[in-house]
Amino acid sequence: MPDLQPIIRFENVTKAFPPDNRVLENLSFSIMPGEFVSLVGASGEGKSTLLKLIYAEEVPSEGEVYFNERPISKINRKHLPFFRRNIGTVFQDYKLLPQKTAFENVAYALEVDGRETDEINAEVPEILEIVGLGNKMHKFPKQLSGGEQQRVSLARALIHRPKVIIADEPTGNLDPHSTEEIIRLLQEINSFGTTVILATHNKGIVDHLGKRVIALNDGAIVSDEHKGKYVTSTPTLNKQPIQKV
Amino acid sequence: MKILKLWRTFKEGMLNFKRNGWLSFATVSILTLSLFIVSLSALLGLTTHLVLQNMKEKVTVSVSFNPDVKEERILEIKDELSKYTKEISSVQYISRDKALEDFIAQSGNDPVITQAIEEIGENPLLASLVIKAVTPENYPLIVDQIESSTFQNDISRINYERNKKIFERLEKINTATRKAGLFLGTMFIFIAILITFNTIRITIYSHRQEFEIMRLVGASNLYVRTPYVFEGVLYGLSAAIFTMLFLFGIAYYIAPLTQGAIPQGNFMNLYLNNFFIILGSLIFLGIFLGVLSSILAIKRYLKA
Repeated sequence: MPDLQPIIRFENVTKAFPPDNRVLENLSFSIMPGEFVSLVGASGEGKSTLLKLIYAEEVPSEGEVYFNERPISKINRKHLPFFRRNIGTVFQDYKLLPQKTAFENVAYALEVDGRETDEINAEVPEILEIVGLGNKMHKFPKQLSGGEQQRVSLARALIHRPKVIIADEPTGNLDPHSTEEIIRLLQEINSFGTTVILATHNKGIVDHLGKRVIALNDGAIVSDEHKGKYVTSTPTLNKQPIQKV
Repeated sequence: MKILKLWRTFKEGMLNFKRNGWLSFATVSILTLSLFIVSLSALLGLTTHLVLQNMKEKVTVSVSFNPDVKEERILEIKDELSKYTKEISSVQYISRDKALEDFIAQSGNDPVITQAIEEIGENPLLASLVIKAVTPENYPLIVDQIESSTFQNDISRINYERNKKIFERLEKINTATRKAGLFLGTMFIFIAILITFNTIRITIYSHRQEFEIMRLVGASNLYVRTPYVFEGVLYGLSAAIFTMLFLFGIAYYIAPLTQGAIPQGNFMNLYLNNFFIILGSLIFLGIFLGVLSSILAIKRYLKA
């Protein structure tokens, strides 16, 4: 029997920043374990904010986000680092530690967990091999290309064998070849059962994936299709006045 | 597991120190400068104090006797004075011949002076007792007692008045330098703390994006902070050692200037005699400044 309980569930979630900037408006949806979900929408539509609510970098103004049916906002701040080990994150700017080599960057995620050195020395090369960086383990981020840096970042996200991978515009700074590489890796990770949530505004990727697509416009879900295509948000009059007539 | 993490954060701190070569160098330089200024003002204050004390100790009161007083009488008085061991530490008898000898020796065997004395035909100097008090504060009392003693009529003069002025002047200098030293020292320490704090804050500021990343991959605040505490320790330790070397250089150069001016002989001896006290204080102060600054500076980036 597959697990029928959603791994992530948004319940009437609204996020507003002071003074009165409502970024997300009354969102409700669920993501099941093992799903590959693309989150689309133009920049500034609230994709990153939505993801931050999942990895507890932000808390909802109203409503609640559940992880395995446990409310995330109720997690004690002290336990936040432990909770975050369930979620691997990948960002547009890679977020690698510049003073550490590829190996050390990945190892860091295990070190903070108090794992044995032997274990780290065995697991880190293995994961770097998977993302195709076996021969560049001891290079510093500035010695690697953008695509390679993103693969280090992905290796780090995977090292805890997280249940969920969150990728916020992971290909935003990459050339088409590297983009393809990263997406292929995300698909591979997903095929092993890891839930992947990918925020992007790359139409080609979304159409190529042929997986679930949630489209955000003006902080609200405008479409949620299980074999979706990229949805171009229709301009609304109240947001952008008509300029070309 | 706790020890493993502690060891890792320690290694992390060492590695940061090494990989941030220039930044570490700049931070250690500033901290060294601060420690150097503070310790130099403290040592100079101490030296001034010691020089003045030394001068005070060299001051004596000499009682000269009329030419007709017999040597036996003077020695008798010397014995009498020597009994007051609480106030008087030593009494030395200088005969008229010895006084002349000393006088000629002091003038550097100047032929003019030798000639002048020969022309006088007899020794113009008086026999005297040189009294050294236990502490300089005893002199007024000793002089009072001698002036009202039974042998007051034998005394030609007491050279106290001149010495008294020297005393008063030294006392004034001592008080003034102590006040100035305290004021300057406090100011320097304050400036040193501010500069060190700001330098370390800039160092930490340059790492602020890394804290976010570290926390994102699951590091606790403590795990993020501890390497910087060790780095702070390393800044303090290196700065203390560099300061010690600079002070050695200073001591080497001013040792000849202070030769004989302080009880320890010269500045180098003062430095070497107190080597471990100075080193210990510097290490303590350096680590204290380094660690405190690190902890305070990182605090604002670890909220939430």
